[in-house]
Amino acid sequence: MRAITPTTPPRQPARQKPDGFDRLYRDHVDLIYRYAYRLCGETEAAKDLVQETFLNAYQGLKNFRGDARVSTWLYTIASRACIRMRRKRKGQPEHELSIEEFVPTSEGEFRLQIPIDGLSPEEALQNKELRKALDQAIEKLPQKYRMALVLRDMEGFSAKEVGTIMGLNERAVKSRLHRARLFMRRELSARGITHHDGHKPGSLHS
Amino acid sequence: MTKKKTATQRKPSQPSSHGHSHRQGDCVALLRQLSAYIDDELPSDVCTEIRRHMGTCPNCEIFIASLQHTVTLCRHRTTPPLTSADRKHMRRAILDAANAQ
Repeated sequence: MRAITPTTPPRQPARQKPDGFDRLYRDHVDLIYRYAYRLCGETEAAKDLVQETFLNAYQGLKNFRGDARVSTWLYTIASRACIRMRRKRKGQPEHELSIEEFVPTSEGEFRLQIPIDGLSPEEALQNKELRKALDQAIEKLPQKYRMALVLRDMEGFSAKEVGTIMGLNERAVKSRLHRARLFMRRELSARGITHHDGHKPGSLHS
Repeated sequence: MTKKKTATQRKPSQPSSHGHSHRQGDCVALLRQLSAYIDDELPSDVCTEIRRHMGTCPNCEIFIASLQHTVTLCRHRTTPPLTSADRKHMRRAILDAANAQ
């Protein structure tokens, strides 16, 4: 875990922790960590993002008017912090995804499948190979698409709520989400993951 | 969905390789709407049209099943839990950073 540096000056000096902060932290730290882990894909980066999020929340708590749910407010702070942290790392510009690149160009590409037929998702995800493929595909997904996918398909927000959190209109959210799902489908199916043995969860056919 | 073809490859009199004939544009149009279909956001007549298309296009049927599986897997992806020590450590670091200002 790194030491954290506040990114925006507080409007009022924050010398003492408000009681409200402890409650906010206690009630939401696991939720925001889960979101941060899903965005970052690894523990230390997720903890950094959680700290950045709650530091900003601490500073903004007195000005929070309750227009949105507290959790939505925290997700918004976390999303902005995640974007800022990525900019600081000065990585490569993000790749834009177009629908055209996901139109299959061969019969084989159409027929690639993800081997979970007959299994519950929990059983399917006992397959380490599949779990690893899922993690790696999410990691490869450009951040703005990953954020839409994580918020909608993993955190369970509606497209409208995702728009509020990401500062986008609903149409833009749906567009990003669709590209993200097509990307994930292509990545998962193209890996040729071996079929799962339904009778022995966790084992694989050769 | 039918196999993507260039203008020089297209032979209108032949059925597609998976034994049915319809325009490739139908498949591409369907592909654009698949997330809305999965999320049940389309009008019923459009859903009916998509189901009819899938009934004649095995490739599209497989494609949509794999996309549905993708969404299902994403929804069930688990994350490691935070430890009690992590919670305490992070809380301390946040309050230290806030009070240092």
